[in-house]
Amino acid sequence: MDSSSTTAAIETSGLTKRFGERTAVDGVDLLVPRGSAFGFLGPNGAGKTTTIRMLLGLTHATAGQMRLLGHAVPAERAAALQRVGAIVEDPRFHPYLSGQENLRVVAAVRGPETAERIAPALARVGLSERADEKVKNYSQGMRQRLGVARCLLADPLLLILDEPTNGLDPGGIQEFREMIRAMVEQEGRTVFLSSHLLDEVEKICDAAAIVDRGKIITQGPIAELAEGGARHELIVGVDDRERAIGVLEGLHQVREARRSDDGLRVVLAGEPETAAEVNAQLVSAGLAVTRLEPVRHSLEQRFLEITARLDAPAGDTHAAPEEART
Amino acid sequence: MTAIALRMFDADLLKLRKKRGTLIWVVVLALAPVIVLFTVKAIQHSSNAVKYEPAGGTPGFTDGLRLLCLFFGPLAAVLVGVEAGTGDSSAGVFRDLVVTGRSRLALFASRVPAALAVCWAVTILGYGLVLLGSFAFASNLPTPDLALVLNGLGFTVLATGAVCVVAVGFASLTTSKPAAITALIGWQLVASPLIANISSLGKGRDVVLSQAIVHFSPVHVGDRGASVTMGQGTALLVLAAWLAVFLALGAWRTRTMDS
Repeated sequence: MDSSSTTAAIETSGLTKRFGERTAVDGVDLLVPRGSAFGFLGPNGAGKTTTIRMLLGLTHATAGQMRLLGHAVPAERAAALQRVGAIVEDPRFHPYLSGQENLRVVAAVRGPETAERIAPALARVGLSERADEKVKNYSQGMRQRLGVARCLLADPLLLILDEPTNGLDPGGIQEFREMIRAMVEQEGRTVFLSSHLLDEVEKICDAAAIVDRGKIITQGPIAELAEGGARHELIVGVDDRERAIGVLEGLHQVREARRSDDGLRVVLAGEPETAAEVNAQLVSAGLAVTRLEPVRHSLEQRFLEITARLDAPAGDTHAAPEEART
Repeated sequence: MTAIALRMFDADLLKLRKKRGTLIWVVVLALAPVIVLFTVKAIQHSSNAVKYEPAGGTPGFTDGLRLLCLFFGPLAAVLVGVEAGTGDSSAGVFRDLVVTGRSRLALFASRVPAALAVCWAVTILGYGLVLLGSFAFASNLPTPDLALVLNGLGFTVLATGAVCVVAVGFASLTTSKPAAITALIGWQLVASPLIANISSLGKGRDVVLSQAIVHFSPVHVGDRGASVTMGQGTALLVLAAWLAVFLALGAWRTRTMDS
């Protein structure tokens, strides 16, 4: 086992990149645990790709520290990248070489033990049959899969994927999601996935960081991110809605109760555990409760709340600094 | 380490070998002019043996070597060197090689032997044609002796190899294939002869690479290639300086550029 296997897969502190006067990445502190799929979520131009490029040594950081799999970058770059596979932006290949030959080129650079991983990697992404075709004849989806195969040559503990589903059709996206989840759940790899697609991150990742204008706004498990700072809300199904609203309005645990298409929407005044007390009060008032379901806030909703606050005038942005981890 | 270097060399060789378009031009530039030269001279001789001497022999060897080593061979070397120097960058693959963790200097270093291998494979074939023409069409003329044959081979290797290495370094510096090809061919075909013929530049003309290379020619090049006379030491120094400077610039750029 790797001596540094207990450390985080990615750890950055104060990571900063400036291009002249413009700050593309501004003091980013990231902590990506091992064995998880971690989303790096932000709008286009938020600094996601620049952060990835610094992590991989493709461009120098202006300031800050980075560690990949426990190794300091750039000081121990070679050791850090030995078990890292990455797709940065679109996967690119020599178009006049076959898929297999393109992998041979990278395998030669990685080391002698890598050549024997070419065939399994091509099989893993379903390209064995077309491995001898020139890449210029590959579809976008096949190129993405070949990009993943190239990552697998490193037998990676960490995969860094930058907008990996760009250009894929819905079937390809679904297939890709399943492959990523399998890599995390069955093979124990860590996947760091940058995307501007909220749905994608929510469906693939266990945790995420939201980045905007070079800064990490918040990070944590997906469920916590979606719920974080949001009100606790219930969908309540009862036999008599009018009477139920009267009962709910008299309860100190309830801030707001209103009708909705799916029953009643009840906003709790306190913690989600008070839902049980609300239920007990409704039952004791003689109402038949047929449904009591917490409203699950989507990451998209949360993301839009956060970025809307950032766009708001200075006086309206009071919540953002409390959530920002950087 | 040696095993990795060999595999990287093999991979770079694969990239160059499979780049059919470039390779075809390289072969055409290195072989076609020699074939045309001997064919035309042979036709001329057969049509008027009094006016035109046989196509081969030592004179034919001299003409063929000059054509190969001072004009078309270096152009072929430029194409190979530029392809080796810019291939990964222009395909967008360089960053994927960098993220393997392998040293950028190692990535640069493996381009040079691969480019030389392709360049020499083709130009030595061209030299074989020069020899074939020299002996096949010699008729009553003297043919090159073994020493001249070996010196000619050495000169072919030197003249095309030096240009090829400079091209790898320069192309790695610019990372642009069109820019590198235009600049190097312009320098080789236009600027170099022009500078060499400006006598007012005096010893300053010694720094022209092609003039330093000509110094090592085993045959008399005459005013169709050599305009500057320089000592052996100066020629070696100029040659070494060109190689060192452009290798250093290419390595520096490969090591420091954002990819």
